[in-house]
Amino acid sequence: MKTLCRCPRWLKITALVVLILGVVLGYVGWDRFLRDHGATQFDNPDDRFKYGSMGAENDAGIPYWIFYVLPRVFPDKLPKPGVGYASFGVVWEQGQELPVGFSKRRIGFDRVANTCAACHVASYRSRPDETPTLVVTGPNHTLDLEAFFRFLVDCAKDPRFNADTLMAEINLAADLDFIDRMAYRYLIIPITKKRLTERESQFEWIYRSDFPEWGRGRDDAMNLTKYFMIRWPMDDTFGPTDMPSVWNLKKYQHEKGHRMNFAGDSHDVYSVVIDSALGLMGAAPKDTDDFLAHIDWLVDYLKNTPPPKYPFPIDATRAARGKDVFDANCAVCHASALTGTIIPLSEIGTDRGRIDTWGKQAAIEANQVVSDMGIERRGLVEAPLTGYVAQFLDGIWLRAPYLHNGSVPTLADLLTPPAQRPQLFWRGYDVYDPVRVGFVVQGAAAERAGTPLDTRLRGNGNQGHDFGTGLPDADKSALLEYLKTF
Amino acid sequence: MSPSASSCVLCRTLLWSLLVLLVLFAFGAAIRFLPDRPVTYDDPVEHFKYGSTGGERNMGFPYWIFQVLPEVCPDLLPGKGYPSLGFIFEPGRDLPVGMSKRRHLGIDRVFLNCAVCHTATVRTAPDAKPMLVSGMPANQLNLMGFQKFVQACVNDRRFTPSQVVPRIAEKAGGLGLLDTHVIYPVGIHLMRDGVAGLTGRLRFIHLQADWGPGRVDTFNSAKAIFGVPFEKLSPEELVGVADFPAIWNQAKKQDMQLHWDGNNSRVEERNLSAAFGTGATPKLIDHAAIARIEAWIATAEPPAFDRHFPVDRALADRGARIYMQRCAACHGKSGSDFSGAEVGKLTPIAAIGTDRGRLDSYTLELAQNQGMLYSADPERRFRHFRKTYGYANAPLDGLWLRAPYLHNGSVPTVWDLLQPASKRPKSFYRGNDLYDPKHLGFVADQPASQGTPLFAFDTRIPGNGNAGHEGAAYGTTLPDADKWALLEYLKTF
Repeated sequence: MKTLCRCPRWLKITALVVLILGVVLGYVGWDRFLRDHGATQFDNPDDRFKYGSMGAENDAGIPYWIFYVLPRVFPDKLPKPGVGYASFGVVWEQGQELPVGFSKRRIGFDRVANTCAACHVASYRSRPDETPTLVVTGPNHTLDLEAFFRFLVDCAKDPRFNADTLMAEINLAADLDFIDRMAYRYLIIPITKKRLTERESQFEWIYRSDFPEWGRGRDDAMNLTKYFMIRWPMDDTFGPTDMPSVWNLKKYQHEKGHRMNFAGDSHDVYSVVIDSALGLMGAAPKDTDDFLAHIDWLVDYLKNTPPPKYPFPIDATRAARGKDVFDANCAVCHASALTGTIIPLSEIGTDRGRIDTWGKQAAIEANQVVSDMGIERRGLVEAPLTGYVAQFLDGIWLRAPYLHNGSVPTLADLLTPPAQRPQLFWRGYDVYDPVRVGFVVQGAAAERAGTPLDTRLRGNGNQGHDFGTGLPDADKSALLEYLKTF
Repeated sequence: MSPSASSCVLCRTLLWSLLVLLVLFAFGAAIRFLPDRPVTYDDPVEHFKYGSTGGERNMGFPYWIFQVLPEVCPDLLPGKGYPSLGFIFEPGRDLPVGMSKRRHLGIDRVFLNCAVCHTATVRTAPDAKPMLVSGMPANQLNLMGFQKFVQACVNDRRFTPSQVVPRIAEKAGGLGLLDTHVIYPVGIHLMRDGVAGLTGRLRFIHLQADWGPGRVDTFNSAKAIFGVPFEKLSPEELVGVADFPAIWNQAKKQDMQLHWDGNNSRVEERNLSAAFGTGATPKLIDHAAIARIEAWIATAEPPAFDRHFPVDRALADRGARIYMQRCAACHGKSGSDFSGAEVGKLTPIAAIGTDRGRLDSYTLELAQNQGMLYSADPERRFRHFRKTYGYANAPLDGLWLRAPYLHNGSVPTVWDLLQPASKRPKSFYRGNDLYDPKHLGFVADQPASQGTPLFAFDTRIPGNGNAGHEGAAYGTTLPDADKWALLEYLKTF
């Protein structure tokens, strides 16, 4: 039998070499760019919540060494004078490599992405010279999320975001091997620049000068969903809301008519957790089963994490009197069948900005996006928004500032007629004020740490919820004391 | 042989000789440029004084450039040569104590090591020979002056190959062609680049008053790594100038709150953090060399006072009783026994009342960022830096050599420290190595030492406050006789 192939020997050898090279290169490419080394495992559920990867590194991840050097290369773009990412008000345990809510995962190369904990771990101090106490599942009232988003986009747009500048800085800190250095220089840095820059149009509304800053501890949640998940063009709505606490979520029971999110736009805990997680991921999960398993864990964790107890002394006698005031004036909405259901805007009278950012059609489209991913959930409420949810008040002491838009600094202020509530105060300072029940919002330290909130600006209105504002002072004081026991 | 065959032979010969030349050239270049070889010393103290931490690879000055800088810019120095900045040259040495040399990238490079801030001289009498003490605070070293001198000279119009290289040739007794035309000109440009990069980040030193000798702003320097906008930081965190510490007996200090504000409790992290100050970044640091230094400072002991000066034993015994009552809980049973309920723990700033500058210079934000700082080396990444709200109660080993006192070196002698703040000197002179055994400290009332002017330290400027550590609990209300007894006992530490 004649040989099948009559090609010359040099061609065979060349082919073999090319094949081997192809295999080697393919392996290296997979290993260095795609291979998922998995999420770091945590035994302690709180640690898992704080630092465990949700898989957002796949599409929303920032290459670790770029993340590492950005604040050094662009200190001028940090929101306020400070050191590195700490200046965004992230919650960061001393001794940890990354802030709470930032996870690191090697998918080919190390990448950093966010988790739920970035917005849902709170910190407070009883006095300035004290290490902050962390409360997992509490609202992060110090994080300037808008500034963080803008920082990433602004860095990417800057001419200094180039391989030469970034590599010079990376080489001071890291000992990358040849492949990583080449990969960073020729692929990772240019691709990251491109992908961050591409977000600019979706983020257009956070650059609008006619909208006020979100400031610390707030985001414009439904506009984020609208511009990223269902990719609508920018409209003229603006509805900043406080980062919510996510403890004790078992209190929400769909069959009792409870609805979630400030405007009651989602059906149940499972849906909210999925939708928020998808927002972090920026794309469909790589492995839906994996993703849903993590969601199940999260839902269980959040349902059963108890609200934090008030950490300062409570005057029991006064609190007992306060209970009577509460029962007579507040319980009708905050400890009744109405709690967790929507109260019409005409009754509550608070700022309507948040309601206008979302609606029936948006809900229908968002639900479609999620079901197209093969994920089943009750989802967003496909109906017009009409008001705000009467809140359960568990852990209310740590949920300052108050109202959905965080426009009233303390509970004492909330019991003051709207016209007399503070018009300008500083959010994001984590020293607690047990007298007014909320955080310290005035003074040099608060101004240095925080961002101003001007209630006269759009979306920031502090009107409405004037319930109890006419009570005698003694009753208010008793009520405040009682609310500390929640 | 045909003409084409002969040209082929010629061609081959040429090709072969080219190849041989190339190989020889590569070999030569490899011999010249590849070695990475620090100076080594068997004796641990010599290693401490002159050995490498690895920082030369990153920050190293070419040896000869370092040697000629004072001649290139003599007017930018306070006096003649590096000694005018407080560098100590031992007889027969071409480099000062605290400077190591490493052959790296084809050139000898030099940079500071740990000893530069932790070695000084002491004279027991005006005409005595200066005695070199390893591990004590470098009271004479003007580190800010050195930084400013290097910045200024390297940015000076005189710092050009045409001005610098001939001086090197003269000093080195001739330079090769490669050195003259390639190595040093390139080195000069690289150095200018490197210094330019650092000048921006270290610009806080130009916002501060002169530190004076024996002091450094440790944690504003650490902030510089992050490129923080110093002009915008709040003023109270901008002055963190503190005395260089003594570094003896580290093994006994593990788990104590280390650094003046006690911001770390692990000796090895504190050591690494300090070594990074010598330019040794995680990928360049020479861990083996650092380990030798760590081993030495773990057990190194201060020289005893009574080998140089007399101690009145009876008086000291009386002082011991006062010490045990008032001081031992915070400062340890003796100069070698550091046991005590509060030793190595923090005293809140409101209680100690000393200058806040150094405490406030270290911020929660910096502590947070330090967790990520050296993540390239996950094993050694900092995990123990913590923002604190007081100053640490330090053991008093070798106390007599640790003057001036308090974290910011604002009180010249132990005697002055035992006075209420209002009676402590408002200003005094730092940097004298002449010892004052009566008051326990260095002579601080003379404006010059052996003809060299000394630094006038003013306690009234921010960061230099000499208040605090006073009141009954701190011994400032004792009768004079008791104070003298206590002081006598402290001589035995």
